[in-house]
Amino acid sequence: MGKRFMLLSITTALLTFTVLVFISTHEAGAAKQTLVVSKTQTPPADPDDPVWGKAKALAIPFEGKERFAEKKASVTTRALYTSDEIFFLFVWSDPTLSVTKDAWLYDGKNWSHQGGNEDRISLLFEIDRIDKFATKGCAIVCHVPPGAPNAKEGKFGTVSDAERGDLWHWKAARSDPVGFADDTWLTKISEKKGGRKSDAGEGGDLKNMTEDKAKPKYTLAPGKKLGKHDILLASDIAEITDYAAFQAGDILTYRMPNMPAGSRADIRSVSSYANGEWRVMLYRKLDTGNEDDVAFNPKKKYNFAMALFDDSGDENSYDSDVLTLIFK
Amino acid sequence: MAGKRGGSSKKLLHALDLDGIASTLRNVSLPGKALTWSRFCGALSLVLTVQLFISGAAMCLYYSPAPGTAYDSVDFAMFSLPFGSIVRGIHYYSWNLLLAVLGLHLARAFIIGAYKRPREPVWISGIIILLVIPLFIITGDLLPWDQKGYWSTQVRLSIISSVPVAGDFITRALRGSSMTGIVALTRFYVLHILFLPLLLSCLIAVHFHFLARRGIAPSLKNSNSEVSRVPFLPDMVNRWLFLFLITTVILAAISWYWPAPLGDPADPTDSSYVPKPEWWVLFLNQLVTIFKGPLMIVGSMIIPGGVIIAIIALPWIDRTPDRHPMRRKGVMIVGAIFIMLFFLLSIVGYMEHHGPLH
Repeated sequence: MGKRFMLLSITTALLTFTVLVFISTHEAGAAKQTLVVSKTQTPPADPDDPVWGKAKALAIPFEGKERFAEKKASVTTRALYTSDEIFFLFVWSDPTLSVTKDAWLYDGKNWSHQGGNEDRISLLFEIDRIDKFATKGCAIVCHVPPGAPNAKEGKFGTVSDAERGDLWHWKAARSDPVGFADDTWLTKISEKKGGRKSDAGEGGDLKNMTEDKAKPKYTLAPGKKLGKHDILLASDIAEITDYAAFQAGDILTYRMPNMPAGSRADIRSVSSYANGEWRVMLYRKLDTGNEDDVAFNPKKKYNFAMALFDDSGDENSYDSDVLTLIFK
Repeated sequence: MAGKRGGSSKKLLHALDLDGIASTLRNVSLPGKALTWSRFCGALSLVLTVQLFISGAAMCLYYSPAPGTAYDSVDFAMFSLPFGSIVRGIHYYSWNLLLAVLGLHLARAFIIGAYKRPREPVWISGIIILLVIPLFIITGDLLPWDQKGYWSTQVRLSIISSVPVAGDFITRALRGSSMTGIVALTRFYVLHILFLPLLLSCLIAVHFHFLARRGIAPSLKNSNSEVSRVPFLPDMVNRWLFLFLITTVILAAISWYWPAPLGDPADPTDSSYVPKPEWWVLFLNQLVTIFKGPLMIVGSMIIPGGVIIAIIALPWIDRTPDRHPMRRKGVMIVGAIFIMLFFLLSIVGYMEHHGPLH
């Protein structure tokens, strides 16, 4: 009895101690925000699926820059994972739905591009470690110093080939209508070009314009329907044969989303816009097996950073600090 | 069959000229009380040390000691190799446990007066072993080249450099240059995997030598009674193997569910990172916090050094032959005050760095 009691006491004491050591050590560190990816057996079907209640919400603050300097934004983010997929839900306020992306407008005589851009959200993970990304975030890769020789050709990039990032880019007008986020990656910035590359495969968008760039070349093919937000999809087009059929005030999509294929089609999206709020769900396989994607291992933690674009181009964005992603 | 196997092993030992050593080991016996559970901590300390050596050797196979690659090599070993996370977890939890178990081992020896004549060398060698373990932790902390390890090292080097006369020299010797970079990492690595293990092995050998020569401390109840003896081989060795198996399974299970921490990669330009002290150094950290500025040396050197000297000199301070704690009230009260101060400073330090206790 005495021996058993002693053994039990010592074992209990040592186990308790180990747990305490674990707790005290694991909570040490920098004050970075952490997004917890919770395990679920049932994958969410859309942004309003009740299963999202299992995931802890994290309000991520964003700082505006350039046109949005001094402004702030916030995106409430949740994440879930199953045995083979990871899901993100992003919810943010945006009083205006922006999906124009330079659409063509016919005034009865001429075609011209409408003003306006699109709403977007992007995430950057490390495929291979990017030096100082864990502490400096996008500042390391997204902003080439003013005056750099390649600043005009593309601002994104890493310092070396060994550093690679996985850039997820959800675009309200150019990727969401086909149900995807654009899957791209980041590598070394060269003298002439930026380091941003598209994943292997097909995707992106097709510019709807004639060779002289004066008017649209395509319209909706007979029997086809316009996509989400009345956007013309590249798969549903027919060449315009009779421009006289158009009336003043007619609008045609300029950047027509292509249905992605290959590694570029890894990130699927489901979204809704209502009452001044975007609700965007992105999901992907934990490990796509593609070299141009980050492979998520639930035992590991990841660094990531985000950017938000409100009817704006790359220069005008809201950026988050770098965050930690952990699986529970 | 058993006879045949025994015959084969005898032949093998003879062929290797080891039969003499095997015969000697078979004739070694220990007092039966060496196997009691109250002496559990000594055996567990030895087992954990072996765990550390084996898991450390396994990690060396994949570790790359250069600032640009150290973090990635640890990350690769943890998450891309089968059982890599478990091996590192066993290493991590082993040293944490070893410190605690050595502390308990020391506390027991203090309570039963095991430091008294003729076992002074056993006591002193044990204390030196306890002092060497933190050197492993300090040198090992930098190796993953993560934020916590890097900035903890910076803080420690800063404290060491505040020591008068030798401080700057020790810091330069450890760091190798004005910055904590590749030279420091190489030196810490060599210390961690070569010099310190050699030193610890020698100290353990010395500890066992004196233990064998001076004997283990008799029981407080029957100090003069003759006790039965048990053979070192196989009884004692079997016990160590059993403990090794149990601790491996427990630590592997803990490591599976809670992998050893690996922070963000070290960023020497990110001075905003404030490392939080680990549990074993909280009391020292608190001492340094209390004694600031020119008095820093009191907290960093004079008090800890004084305590270490007092503990080493204990066999000569408490010379009475009586070992029963109730008849050594003065020493026991001082010891209790020291332990209470240790815990008090640790708790205050914890609350200061980690927030209120939950």
